[in-house]
Amino acid sequence: MASDRYFYVIYIRAPQETVWRALMEPSFTRRFWQETVQECDWTVGSDWLLRIPDGRVGGAGKVLEFEPPPRLSVSWRNEFIPGLADEGYTRRTYELETLGDAVRLSLTHESDLKGSKMIASVSQGWPGILSSLKSLLETGEPLDSTRTWPRGF
Amino acid sequence: MSKTSRFVYVTFIRAAPQRVWDALTQPEQTRLYWHGVTQVSDWTPGADWKMTFADGRIADAGRVVEIDPPRRLVLEWRNEFMPELKAEGFSRCTIEISEEHDVTRLAVTHEIDVEGSKLIEAVSGGWPMILSSLKSLLETGAPLGEPLNQDA
Repeated sequence: MASDRYFYVIYIRAPQETVWRALMEPSFTRRFWQETVQECDWTVGSDWLLRIPDGRVGGAGKVLEFEPPPRLSVSWRNEFIPGLADEGYTRRTYELETLGDAVRLSLTHESDLKGSKMIASVSQGWPGILSSLKSLLETGEPLDSTRTWPRGF
Repeated sequence: MSKTSRFVYVTFIRAAPQRVWDALTQPEQTRLYWHGVTQVSDWTPGADWKMTFADGRIADAGRVVEIDPPRRLVLEWRNEFMPELKAEGFSRCTIEISEEHDVTRLAVTHEIDVEGSKLIEAVSGGWPMILSSLKSLLETGAPLGEPLNQDA
């Protein structure tokens, strides 16, 4: 059982299929997720990688669950921040559910470590990234705060 | 071991802090995105505060503990329409608004000195819906539709 867990829910007025694609496809993630892209063929067991715009690997793991839509889960180890990389693998799960004109997107990011620095770190990041995803899908423009990779990070 | 139950939600909205503040406190705006509710208060420290449904029932009530427009609002908050939640007594809801990178950061912290609080469990489901609807209203002009945003 995971012992440290971050959970976040946001409702987005867009078709479920669009939200699903936006979570995976580079043409979307570049715009709302700080210019990053995910390299993956999206099948269970395949490698998953988060690429930072300067070429570094931000995170890496494997696809654990892939049921399009509503459910996508990957194992995720941070690869570029020493203290976080040492913690090993976390698990991030997206779940989608359509409710009226909106989609409920839930994100769970969990670690087997109690007091995980990785979970503390991502819990600061996810609200901004997913708020920006909602803005992108509802208005056509992401939030300025997540358009670019943070300088010096 | 603390006995406090707490829910924290953070969202970022493309609108000025004052617009976010107004949307959170002005009755004609809250009822658009917040299940038809209206808040009644004269918004001064110590003033009574209540939230009413469209049909006139009181949803929640308490008083204003701190107010610093458009940055910070602390409410003492008791549920008034569900006996099990009302029995838990007063919770505290802190709303913090700041500007970061040209967007407004809105943080809601809702807490009560009750272990395993049913009130906090209830608001944990409610706040993401309400604040997502608020964000949609401010960024697109239209709140979320039913069933997420219907009169309670």
